[in-house]
Amino acid sequence: MISMEARLARLALKGDQRAFAEIVGLYQDKLYHMAYRMLNNRQEAEDAVQDTFLRVYKNLDRYDENMKFSTWIYRIATNLCIDRLRKRKPSYSLDAESNEHEGLDGYSMIPSDNRTPESETLLSEVQQTIHKAIDTLPAKYKTVMILRYLQELSLQEIGDVLDMPVTTVKTRVHRGREFLRKRLEREF
Amino acid sequence: MNCNVATSWIHDYLDGELPREEAIQLKAHLLACPACRSRFEQLERTEAYVQAAFSADTRSLAGSDAYNAAALTDRIIGALPTAPKKRSWTRWLRNHPAIAVASVFAMVMLSSFITMWEQHGELVVRGTDLDQVVITGNRVIVPEGARVNGDLTVENGITEVAGEIQGNLTVIDGTLNMASTANIIGEEKTINQALDWVWYKLKRTVNDLAS
Ligand SMILES: [Zn+2]
Repeated sequence: MISMEARLARLALKGDQRAFAEIVGLYQDKLYHMAYRMLNNRQEAEDAVQDTFLRVYKNLDRYDENMKFSTWIYRIATNLCIDRLRKRKPSYSLDAESNEHEGLDGYSMIPSDNRTPESETLLSEVQQTIHKAIDTLPAKYKTVMILRYLQELSLQEIGDVLDMPVTTVKTRVHRGREFLRKRLEREF
Repeated sequence: MNCNVATSWIHDYLDGELPREEAIQLKAHLLACPACRSRFEQLERTEAYVQAAFSADTRSLAGSDAYNAAALTDRIIGALPTAPKKRSWTRWLRNHPAIAVASVFAMVMLSSFITMWEQHGELVVRGTDLDQVVITGNRVIVPEGARVNGDLTVENGITEVAGEIQGNLTVIDGTLNMASTANIIGEEKTINQALDWVWYKLKRTVNDLAS
């Protein structure tokens, strides 16, 4: 049986824009939250979401119905966010090719953006600390943590989205968790 | 049990992926090892906080003015190309890559060569007895009563023949108008280089693909 999204995608491909609007309705908030946490910037997050849907629309004919639609759309969105991070802060590529077994402590040296958007004030101090800490992570860890905790994807699904082995995803979740543990223990 | 293994298992446990058998062994280790027990408590707390942070995040971001969902939806829909392109032919081409390559090649060839020929549209007149020929603008005229003792070749022009040509007349990329008084003794030939060239090239491409 084909999924609801695949059905909508087929209709949209035939020119039914309302079907595409349904897809936007299903994913816009999820993608926005993800992009906001990836980029830590409202305007950029909105742009990234718009770019994602535009790319989805233009590539509907390439959507492989054997893949979950969510996997496909998250893949497009994460790639666009990672591209934006790369373009934005070339000096933060500390981690570019470091291997998986390196400690993460060095990353805490990266200055975090101290600005607190209005929406963040609704979060507790602990929650803000967690978000700030995650924001200092290199993109590859950040992406995994966001897919895991914000989108609540399984390790296998994260592997599908990022096109990497589950063992790699696992390693990154574990390292990310250790990193946050140290941050929290230091501050609280 | 080694403490490194215990740490790794703690993470697997928090991921919900530690098999029952190992979970029992881990529990035994945690009861015996205060360092791992402390680490376990910290990680368990971290896991709970991270989950809480993201779930609060979703609520607060969605509820704030910071993110105007309706405005973004309008922007997204408004920016879509008005009519989705007819994609079926591209899908078909993807399934027939050889034809896709050939047709793209042919289109590129055709357009580039037509452009090239058009760019080189200068009038060229070659012949052995050009005294008999009148040239005005891009018109090459062999007037009534005139006699060209030899061949005449005209490129990129309009050729009007009312007189006599003893040899061959070749018109390349141009037009030929013959009056009733015209008399061409030799061979008369009209060549469209661009088309001939493209045709030649296409035949060769098709042969290459087939072989
Ligand atoms: Zn231990």
